[in-house]
Amino acid sequence: MDWGRLRFFLGEVLTNFTRNAGMQFTAIGTVAVTIVLLGAFLYVRETIQTFGTGVLSQIEIAVYLKDDVDDAKAKELASKLAGDSRVASASYVPKREGLKRMKAVLKDIDTSLLTTNPLPNMYKVRVKDPDSVQNVAAWIAKDPRVAKADYAADTVQKLLKTAAVLGRAGIALIALLSISAAIVIANTIRLTVFARRREIAIMQLVGATNMYIRMPFIAEGMLAGVLGAAVAIGVLALAEHQVVPKLAATLAFVTFRVNESTLSVELLAVGAAVGLIASWVSVGRYLRT
Amino acid sequence: MIRLHGVSLVYPNGTRALDDVDLEIEKGSFVFLVGHSGTGKSSLLKLLYREELPSGGEVVVDGVRVDTLRRGKVPKLRRNIGVVFQDFKLLSHKTVWENVAFALQVTGTRTRDVMRMVPRALDLVGLSHKSRMFPSELSGGEQQRAAIARALVGNPKLLLCDEPTGNLDPSNTTEIMELLQRINLKGTTVVVATHNQAVVDRMRRRVVRLEHGRILHDDERGYYFRGLGQTAVLPG
Ligand SMILES: Nc1ncnc2c1ncn2[C@@H]1O[C@H](COP(=O)(O)OP(=O)(O)O)[C@@H](O)[C@H]1O
Ligand SMILES: [Mg+2]
Repeated sequence: MDWGRLRFFLGEVLTNFTRNAGMQFTAIGTVAVTIVLLGAFLYVRETIQTFGTGVLSQIEIAVYLKDDVDDAKAKELASKLAGDSRVASASYVPKREGLKRMKAVLKDIDTSLLTTNPLPNMYKVRVKDPDSVQNVAAWIAKDPRVAKADYAADTVQKLLKTAAVLGRAGIALIALLSISAAIVIANTIRLTVFARRREIAIMQLVGATNMYIRMPFIAEGMLAGVLGAAVAIGVLALAEHQVVPKLAATLAFVTFRVNESTLSVELLAVGAAVGLIASWVSVGRYLRT
Repeated sequence: MIRLHGVSLVYPNGTRALDDVDLEIEKGSFVFLVGHSGTGKSSLLKLLYREELPSGGEVVVDGVRVDTLRRGKVPKLRRNIGVVFQDFKLLSHKTVWENVAFALQVTGTRTRDVMRMVPRALDLVGLSHKSRMFPSELSGGEQQRAAIARALVGNPKLLLCDEPTGNLDPSNTTEIMELLQRINLKGTTVVVATHNQAVVDRMRRRVVRLEHGRILHDDERGYYFRGLGQTAVLPG
């Protein structure tokens, strides 16, 4: 390792960075705001997903068997259901059990008028992956012993759809914000490039490669991006510390289980990437002309 | 070292800076490129270090076809050519030492080699004792010597000087011209573009005279004006 070369390079980056301190401050701020929003979005999305997945996994497929399917035949179906990899559990509710449960629920209503048991034998099936509810229900419905396989179709689909729409809207918003952050960084780098046009001219004159000329500016852009992300992570950590305990108290049924370190690394990577792309484009345009 | 064949250069705005120029310069020679302002001296030098591309003709420098050189190969060409300007083009926030070292550092030279080569270049131009000073603390002549040190620190085979004494008083001018001769004696090919008649006439070197982008005359041991010494055209 040639420490002299490294020191020279870092010195150049630092000179650039401090020369443009005011503009860098704006760039870092813009990146920070963007990444705070991105982080909050990802945090909320992960929480909703955890919650939603929990709810969805509660959803049961009610499999009603045909009248001529007796308990023995119904048991055969059980092994078929249990054998499918998508199925989490299948519990048999024979018609007498069903009637008992119904009577328990309708205890204030007189059910003595019922002379026969109107309920069919049924299975309650839960699936492992909530997305597969529809497919599994359709597959079960095809079985000759099955009269009908029902699930809360509308509710599930609406939930999934809403989540998807929210996700897309969020991503579009974040994309817009990232672009504006990138533009601010690009402008900052352009100012640095302009401030250093004499150096660049000399570098080109003495035979520095474009790659070499680019590097300090790229490093500068990435530094702005990473610093912005770091600020954002600090803000988010503070917010989580302040807000989540209160929310958790009110929304007891929601679990806040987000992996903060993974999220932080992701956000730092986003900051660095925004800085990299912005400065690359900015210097590239200057060097081409 | 240098060969131009049928070279013309027309700028995008339509200005014809060079028109069908043929020129050959031997390795190790010292050549003046003279002519009034705006006759294409700078343009010709720019073709050599590929700052401009010719509109027509061939440009060869040290065996390399510069006019068809790929973009990516330009840095290598330029490491083989030192260029010096009238306005020195030193970086004001760097010391003399740093300015000279800069040329090596940005071309990826190892620190060990930088430490060895910079003092040698400063010694050659006689600036070793002022290596820690900033350009603003130096005289014009000293600034130009620092610029020459920067141009030569990488041991190029060719040194191009565009009006190197244009901003200097007569005594500094003499000093710089003597330095350029010394550099030439060490084997570097030197091309000096100038419209300083006194310098050209005193040195009696090869003189290539441009006029309106064409070569008007080309004389060994020549004068600025063909056949006339400086005294003949001095007024009064
Ligand atoms: N970049 C340019 N664009 C357009 N015209 C130029 C450019 N550079 C030089 N010229 C013109 O080309 C001619 C030659 O210029 P130059 O080579 O600088 O002459 P010299 O160095 O002999 O003074 C002049 O007429 C000048 O105005
Ligand atoms: Mg000129």
